[in-house]
Amino acid sequence: MEKTRRLPAIFFIMMKIGLFTFGGGWSIIAQIQNEFVDKKGWMTEEQIVDYMSLAKSFPGIMIINMSVFCGYTMAGPAGAVAAAFGLSLPALVAIAVVTYFYESLRDNIYVAKILNGVRSVVIPIIISACLRMRGTAIRGKSAWVILAASFVVCALTGFSKLLLILIALALGLLIWRGRISDDLS
Amino acid sequence: MIYLRLFISFMKIGFCSFGGMTMIPVINDEVLRYGWMTASEVMDIVAVAEMTPGSLGINCATFVGLRTAGLPGALFASLGVMMPSLTLSMLAAHFILHMKGNKYLESAMRGVRPASLGMLAAAAVTLSVSTFVAGGVIDLSGFSLPAFLSGISWNLVLIAVITGVILLKFKLSIPKTILIAAVLGLLIG
Repeated sequence: MEKTRRLPAIFFIMMKIGLFTFGGGWSIIAQIQNEFVDKKGWMTEEQIVDYMSLAKSFPGIMIINMSVFCGYTMAGPAGAVAAAFGLSLPALVAIAVVTYFYESLRDNIYVAKILNGVRSVVIPIIISACLRMRGTAIRGKSAWVILAASFVVCALTGFSKLLLILIALALGLLIWRGRISDDLS
Repeated sequence: MIYLRLFISFMKIGFCSFGGMTMIPVINDEVLRYGWMTASEVMDIVAVAEMTPGSLGINCATFVGLRTAGLPGALFASLGVMMPSLTLSMLAAHFILHMKGNKYLESAMRGVRPASLGMLAAAAVTLSVSTFVAGGVIDLSGFSLPAFLSGISWNLVLIAVITGVILLKFKLSIPKTILIAAVLGLLIG
């Protein structure tokens, strides 16, 4: 029952996030941290990190996958649906408007300038999400190695994200082998 | 029936792609086949997707749906492209939540988490290159530092630095920071 009461908030907060998601969708991560970890406390930092790579490596749209993972965690299947539709609604409205005015927007210098500004801010937004995640994502020296390898592979090659995550998953099993309690440092 | 066809086509697009630009060839296949869009319209929609919030997939589904069958068309197409998320991701979320506390899952996730972070950090680099560097790629053959430096959009770097400070040091919310970036873009972008 408690979780059902979260549904309207999940829908409207996701709608707000959807309205401010530019530049490939990664900025959604920092916004979810902000809204659902900090303000609401309905998710943990760890869950965000876990879901992020899964959302990217699963088929479909990364930000919709992410919203489904988060919505499900906060309020079950109904939460997942509320999150996915909340997130998509602003795009639906925006596209209808922009399509209508496309011809005049395409060649408008001011629109181009504003978009340049918005594209630029996506980068510090992603960096801020990275900085927050350090503590959660990095446990021990081997984690640094995985981080560095993943960074290089993703930055320089078009290597499949799904394969990358499967390899990381196997490495995690090999390195920690279920022995979690004895290295909680 | 057009609604069903839109739904199925975009469901195919969803399941066969991994978001962003990887969707373009799959989108091309489907929308050209039914004559819903021309190839140059597909490129226009990529530009529109850049202008509007949200993902290319949803934007494209909405655009095609609207054009071929009005608002209900847009809804069916969007629902189609959301199907992988509503099925596969939903199942995975269910599975993970039920395995919570399992030591082997936790071990596996300890490998996945740094890989995720690496992926996100790499996204920052890739986006920096496409935003700041002339042409959107670093040309390694015939690379020269002066040419590279003069090709960088320093005004955009400045916007990124200013908004970065606002975000990290003054802890302004992301929507407000984006609005400031839009204003800065209008002034110097």
